[in-house]
Amino acid sequence: MSNMLYELKNIKRYYNGRCALSINHLAIEGGQIYALVGPNGSGKTTLLRILAFLDEPTMGEVFYNGSLVAPKMMPFLRREVTMLLQDSRLLTRKVKDNVAYGLKLRGMDPLSMKHRVNEALEMVGLSPKEFANRKWYELSGGEAQRVALASRLVLRPKVLLLDEPTANVDAVSESLINDAVVRAKEEWKTTIIVVSHNLLWLYSVADEVLTLWGGRIIQQGPENIIPGPWKKLETGLYCKTLRDGQKIFVSGEPSESKVISISPSEILLASHGEKSSARNVLRGFVTQMTYHNGDQVRVHVSVGDITLVAFLTKDAVMDLNLHPGMDIYVIFKASAAKWL
Amino acid sequence: MDYILAGIQEAFVLLLSGDEEVYTAVFATLKVSSMSIFFTLVIGLPTGFLLGYTNFPGKNFVRSVVDALLALPTVVVGLWVYAFISSRGPLGNLNLLFTLPGVAIGEVVLALPIVIALSAQAIEELDLSVKDTLLTLGAAGRKLALDILWEGRYGMLMAAVTAYGRIISEVGVATMLGGNIKWRTRTITTAMAFETNKGQFAMGMALGFILLLIAFIVNGTLSFAKRRRQSR
Repeated sequence: MSNMLYELKNIKRYYNGRCALSINHLAIEGGQIYALVGPNGSGKTTLLRILAFLDEPTMGEVFYNGSLVAPKMMPFLRREVTMLLQDSRLLTRKVKDNVAYGLKLRGMDPLSMKHRVNEALEMVGLSPKEFANRKWYELSGGEAQRVALASRLVLRPKVLLLDEPTANVDAVSESLINDAVVRAKEEWKTTIIVVSHNLLWLYSVADEVLTLWGGRIIQQGPENIIPGPWKKLETGLYCKTLRDGQKIFVSGEPSESKVISISPSEILLASHGEKSSARNVLRGFVTQMTYHNGDQVRVHVSVGDITLVAFLTKDAVMDLNLHPGMDIYVIFKASAAKWL
Repeated sequence: MDYILAGIQEAFVLLLSGDEEVYTAVFATLKVSSMSIFFTLVIGLPTGFLLGYTNFPGKNFVRSVVDALLALPTVVVGLWVYAFISSRGPLGNLNLLFTLPGVAIGEVVLALPIVIALSAQAIEELDLSVKDTLLTLGAAGRKLALDILWEGRYGMLMAAVTAYGRIISEVGVATMLGGNIKWRTRTITTAMAFETNKGQFAMGMALGFILLLIAFIVNGTLSFAKRRRQSR
């Protein structure tokens, strides 16, 4: 049975005559984590705002739960769809009142509300005893962002949209925010749609990746995105050195963004790193294996400081005896990379 | 230098002895400024909020006019209000000229653009991020508007305090519309100007100290509002 939550048809969004977003068709299923990737100005935030019902497309249709969304429905839909904005602010009140704000609007009784507020604070690693009565200005940047996230998590939303939730926070807060987001999906089957600079985390948790470029979705499905820096070699290839010293070689001319993408279907896995005609043979280990579209297995391999995703058939997984933690070789051609 | 020191010394004597002339001017000032700020806020805050919160054709023009009125010279305000409330003016039968309510009308005209412009700006600045934050949490309609108003309270306080500072320290309107009548419409600023011209330096000093005290309180409140607003 289809679990389609959103369907966008022939969407266009213009700002001052400039087309910021143009999507012919996009379907988003419930209970999944979607990652939006792409350079600045690619339309990620515009898409998030339309999905959050904060903004309307200039033309086109948005369907939510099978119904065409009309402007007058948007305030009601925002009761089950919430978004953590890139520049999300706390309300000028105590932490507990910030977190309880949405519940009060929904008419929850004070006792249940207190329980839910404490639960949400704990979920983002803030002790209710220590933080509940703090004022909004008595928090660090990371703590404030966690309170902002708790204000959304407390609603147990059907959809949680996150625009760079960890852009300006410390490492501890980043880890706690990332964990809380995944927990929301696991506990409440919340659909998560997230934009994050932390591609390693993003690719490790996303069920689906939408790659945007110039306001269009240029790729849908898991994708391996590898940012620079890239060093030009005498051979004409470009090389990136990973944290463990291994090197990735790619061909072609770099784009302005200096980011490459490699389709998972271009990646082969082998148990031995014997000589290959492919330029890239990298050593890594399997971190995660999940079924994809029923007949395929998505395999996440950690290589140096990046994670690469490959699709294998079930037979191939059996032949290689693949399992999480297993050492494996990742093989792909230098020409498999596309400059974004 | 001696006459300054002597003036300061005498000023303290006047203040501590409860000099009637000094305190009559102080009370007249407090009375007229309270009246003025009350009506300024009653009219200005809702207008400023609506100007900042709503969008309508010609909004930019209205904002420009309000911003331009911020630079209104006090004597121009005094002149125009005088024209209206003098015996030959359209409001002449109300006998407001050379009364504290008459002065208050002028001060309302002077302070209104400040409150409208600053509160509209406070709401507009909030609107960018706070409105979206409230929307994402599920607020809508009247609740959304009221919560934006609440979130803008420090900006509104700044607008009110700035306007009060302008009212309490102005001299042009108070002189032209109040007439500086002793025991009746003489305020701190008009008394200071008048007494200093008369050579009553100590009286001017004493009133100056009180004005400074009020200014410190006003500025302290302003700093508090600024800090709270910036700590968002």
